[in-house]
Amino acid sequence: MRQILIIDDEDDIREVAALSLEATAGWDITTACCGADGIRAAADPKHRPHAILMDVMMPGMDGPTTFRQMQLNPEIAGIPVLLLTAKVQGVDQRRFAGLGVAGVLFKPFDPLTLAAQISAALGWKD
Amino acid sequence: MTALPSIVFGLMLLSIFLLGVLTLRLAGRSRHQRTSIEQLNEALKRSREYAEQQKAKLAQRSDLDTVKDEFISTVSHELRTPLTSIRGALGLLSAGLLGNVDAKAQNLLRIASTNTERLIRLINDILDLERMDSGRAPLKLRRCSMFDLAREAVDTMTTMADGAGVRLELVCNAPRDAIYFDADSDRILQVMTNLLSNAIKFSPAASTVSVQIDADANSLLLKVVDEGRGIPADKLEAVFDRFQQVESSDASKKGGTGLGLAICRSIIQQHGGAIWAQPNQDGSGTTLWVQLSRSARASDAGTSSSLALPAERGEGLILVCDDDPGIRVVVAEQLRQHGYDIMEAGSGEEVIALANEQTAQAGLGRGTGEHAPAPGVSAILLDLHMPGVSGWEALQRLKESPATAAIPVVILSVIPPTDHPLRAGGPQGWVQKPFNENLLLAELGRVLRTHEGPGRILLVEEDGELANAIVVGFEEAGLRLDHARSLRQAVDRCLVGAPDLMILDLTLPDGDGFSLVDWLRRQPTLQALPLVVYSSREVSEVEMAKLRLGPTEFLDRAKVKPREVEELVLAMVRRLRNSTAAPAV
Repeated sequence: MRQILIIDDEDDIREVAALSLEATAGWDITTACCGADGIRAAADPKHRPHAILMDVMMPGMDGPTTFRQMQLNPEIAGIPVLLLTAKVQGVDQRRFAGLGVAGVLFKPFDPLTLAAQISAALGWKD
Repeated sequence: MTALPSIVFGLMLLSIFLLGVLTLRLAGRSRHQRTSIEQLNEALKRSREYAEQQKAKLAQRSDLDTVKDEFISTVSHELRTPLTSIRGALGLLSAGLLGNVDAKAQNLLRIASTNTERLIRLINDILDLERMDSGRAPLKLRRCSMFDLAREAVDTMTTMADGAGVRLELVCNAPRDAIYFDADSDRILQVMTNLLSNAIKFSPAASTVSVQIDADANSLLLKVVDEGRGIPADKLEAVFDRFQQVESSDASKKGGTGLGLAICRSIIQQHGGAIWAQPNQDGSGTTLWVQLSRSARASDAGTSSSLALPAERGEGLILVCDDDPGIRVVVAEQLRQHGYDIMEAGSGEEVIALANEQTAQAGLGRGTGEHAPAPGVSAILLDLHMPGVSGWEALQRLKESPATAAIPVVILSVIPPTDHPLRAGGPQGWVQKPFNENLLLAELGRVLRTHEGPGRILLVEEDGELANAIVVGFEEAGLRLDHARSLRQAVDRCLVGAPDLMILDLTLPDGDGFSLVDWLRRQPTLQALPLVVYSSREVSEVEMAKLRLGPTEFLDRAKVKPREVEELVLAMVRRLRNSTAAPAV
């Protein structure tokens, strides 16, 4: 079963996104509420996620910074990261795309198709 | 024999007389020259003051823009975050994924869901409009096929049409290869899907919505024809206003935001085109018309000869800088075929060194005259992603060094042009990879044209003889003028390729200068066109205000002779060039 780690500082969004992925795709979801927790959770060998869905604007370490930190850790550098952002301005989008993440998804997302969007971005066929 | 002394004496008298006349005339001329120099000094002083003011204004505006950008970005983020939770929660509940709810609750959930969707669309639309109106969403022009875009729009809207039982058809009445035009494809798609969505919304089941494409030499025409309830005559124009709908209940019934057509008009106007609504001739339904010119910026790569201009002159040395030798070879070959000389650089360091070297070698040749072939480097094509000194860093160093600051730089990158590509110290042009040859040539041509000579000058003058006199004045200075005899011709010329300056007579056979200026003002690429009004009658203060676009000068025919127009116009061009670091686009 697919393991997904969701990193977002908004409790409600974590919950809705987790429910949505569990209900529509049956994936196994773990969550973290900040970048530092996210890195720890990703590095946990028992729950190594197949992909990470991460918010951009977070207090402390923001999404792009967390992503760069992850790239420094060889154990988790290979896990694909998707940014989930409420920033839709062109400037922001280009900045994110230049980071080297696997994809950028936008808020507000559609809870019924979020899993499909993630699969499409990662080329997952199942 | 006595006649000889008297002839000699007569000749002497005559020479003295001629000498006197000559001296007097020379004195007169030098007086004339002195006043000219004083006038020039005065003009120079004025232009410096103007440049300072403009610079201050620009700095102020860019500060404001940054604050506004940040504000919009923040508001947008703050509104979307709670909406994400609401939409997610409602979506999951109403889809029944978490257990069934009874019919009444289901209905309430549906209401909450659809209105959340509406709120999201509204926020997106308002932000869209705001960005366009403030000019902070510049168009990213590419050569596009109108048919391909329409095909994509129709495909996107098929699900909605199927749901409403409406048939979609796409008809192209022009040859497929004759419907290419310069456009921001995302924006034009937005317009098309918007028009289709409207048409479907107001169409009865089992009716047809038809998308039709036509083309003539200068423009493309897109029609979206529906068989719906139609728009009353008094609302045909109002539907393009914000929050205007034909019936007040439409917003809630049809789920629209009331901003769709306003956005469409904004986008089409940014492209220099027009959009309007018309009732169908058989009395049922409406046709939405979109007219777009083929070439929004550079002149048409396929048909116009203006692209060949640099090749004819054969004077341009282009430095091509890219770390990928494959790309260098391709670009160099394409440009050589069009008459450019090429030097290649494989890194940022190399291009800086080359530019300095070439400029230094040509250094003594500089300033030899306005129309001498430009010595040194004409332009630099610069990749952004390079190991070592990056393209951005190279650009900054080139622009900081006085020796190379004046060389126009065109970025050649996989990155699309940024939102502020033309600030001072930035690049003068931008071509996105993978590029097509025509786009590269058009952009390079545009950049070189803005940097050399006075650019394209369009003379709008009804009186053929007077026009000839002005043209002769320019020809003596080695410059060619475009001439339009009527309002219609002037508009046509502008659509083929934006002029850099216009000389305008107020009396035209099919209208007047005021209506032409009104039209120019509505064209995004022409609304700041430098203008010289050359009129035979006195222009009042109020009229001057109406005629002012960008930098504007008023010449009185009673005081300024046709042959003198050329000198004043060239002075104006020089002044404009000195007052702006970045080219006007």
